[in-house]
Amino acid sequence: MIYIGAEEIISPLGETAEENFSAMIENRSGITLVPNAGFNKGAVNLSKILNLPGENQFEGLIASILASLSHKIDEKVITSDRTIILLSSTKGELKNNMADPFGPPIASLMVRFNFANQPIIISNACISGVLAINAANNFITAGLYDHVIVIGCDLISDFIVYGFQSLFAMSDKACLPFDAARNGISLGEGCGAVVVSNTSAIFKNPPLKLMSGTSANDANHISGPSRTGEGLYRSVKKTMEINHISSDDIDFISAHGTGTIYNDEMESIAFDRLSLTHVPLNSLKGYFGHTLGAAGVVETAASMMMIREEILIKSLGFEETGTSKELNIILENKKSSLRTILKTASGFGGGNASLIIQKL
Amino acid sequence: MSFITSYCHLTHESCSVNGNVIVERDPESDDNWFKQLYKNQEFVYPKFYKMDTLSQAGFILSEMIKRAQPSIMNSYQDDEIALLFANQFSSADSDLRFKKSYEEHGTPSPALFVYTLPNIVLGEIAILNKWYGENMFAVLPKFAPDFFVNYSQVFLSTGSEAVLCGWLGIAGDQINVFVFLIEKQGSAGMEFNAENLKKLAGIELV
Repeated sequence: MIYIGAEEIISPLGETAEENFSAMIENRSGITLVPNAGFNKGAVNLSKILNLPGENQFEGLIASILASLSHKIDEKVITSDRTIILLSSTKGELKNNMADPFGPPIASLMVRFNFANQPIIISNACISGVLAINAANNFITAGLYDHVIVIGCDLISDFIVYGFQSLFAMSDKACLPFDAARNGISLGEGCGAVVVSNTSAIFKNPPLKLMSGTSANDANHISGPSRTGEGLYRSVKKTMEINHISSDDIDFISAHGTGTIYNDEMESIAFDRLSLTHVPLNSLKGYFGHTLGAAGVVETAASMMMIREEILIKSLGFEETGTSKELNIILENKKSSLRTILKTASGFGGGNASLIIQKL
Repeated sequence: MSFITSYCHLTHESCSVNGNVIVERDPESDDNWFKQLYKNQEFVYPKFYKMDTLSQAGFILSEMIKRAQPSIMNSYQDDEIALLFANQFSSADSDLRFKKSYEEHGTPSPALFVYTLPNIVLGEIAILNKWYGENMFAVLPKFAPDFFVNYSQVFLSTGSEAVLCGWLGIAGDQINVFVFLIEKQGSAGMEFNAENLKKLAGIELV
């Protein structure tokens, strides 16, 4: 069996998974209107960590999360030659070094933490995090490693703010995933981590079970989702089939839900085709913003906390159905015993990925 | 067991398929090297002109692999060919061009921004071929045969029948691209292992 545990989150809502989860229980958002952040100095809604030190922010966040993670597992795992680090990120330390955003911070982290194996960066746009957790599972199942530390990290920069502004993809208020009035994303920054292992004893808190996940390309458009949800449909269908999970087995879906018109519509169509519209669902983008390469890890970590705390967390920003297929979006926090959950992600490049986690 | 059934190299000077040089760069040409290749090989895919260099390289070399191994287009289901690409500098060239658009040319260019992710090339190849399979783009400090062998085997043991792999080493004029096709069935190919991959990759990469 493959285990997943030791989830950790750093975001504007807190520096630990527990702090972040407290904020989620209070339905607090990390998104605020940040002045002078946009192109032409406009104010932009961002989920931005305000007290980050100026230098080496990417490396700094990863170092911080590794330090807190080390208290949740057998510390020897971090330096073991049976461990590899998978980092999911789109832009790395872009603000320091656009020509080589990953080389210097990774080389420095290897020395600081004494990793036995060269970390691998998984950079597949917004599905990077889910893909990295799936890769962790695959690496261990194939016998290549016993433990994988998956860390997702991305930062807000002028570069990405201006980019999403140029696409007219930014919401003019805090993002409203799946809502009728949604009109774009709110960018976020943060860092998430989970540990995937074939050994439950390395975890100080009981781990959960990670099932095999899959990905599928839409084969449709590099920056727009498929109108039929084809890739997401195929990925979730495969993930459910290989794990012998039916639509009635799933207790909760942590959707991608960016808050753009087309993405959320696409997801509703895919979930309808999968007969999953009855399953309680949320998007956590209303809490963390869209943290790009970190999103899959941050949101999986938050969903794992939901299993542990037995609570369905409200999909922040949603009031009125705004997709052609009606989904069972969580309107208020609700106590619920969750056994099997589905996490999905979709992104630029046509990628879609999904994974299933089960309570043991 | 699996096999390397076809492979292509691209440097700043030449492009070769299965070890044979097909096109050499004409330094006198008004066209850049990627456009020279596109014209020389008589490709017809106007979207090529919108692509960044990572996607142009991925397009050209994946098309050359298809010409060298045409059976891949009808031997597999639409989700059985996985794409596994990597490089050292992510989408750095496109990132620098996009930055220039807002710092020097007055407005951020959406046409450049959409290429500021390294996995876009996988989307381009998937769209062109209607391939719905697994994709992964990794960033590594150098070409790593073990990574390609290990993760291709993962794909081949989880439903994929073939893996199109690529190392997209492009930083300005420094070009070292190596694209290769792995198939489970491939009597004409070389056995797929790190040692053979190192041999085919060539001295500049390993």
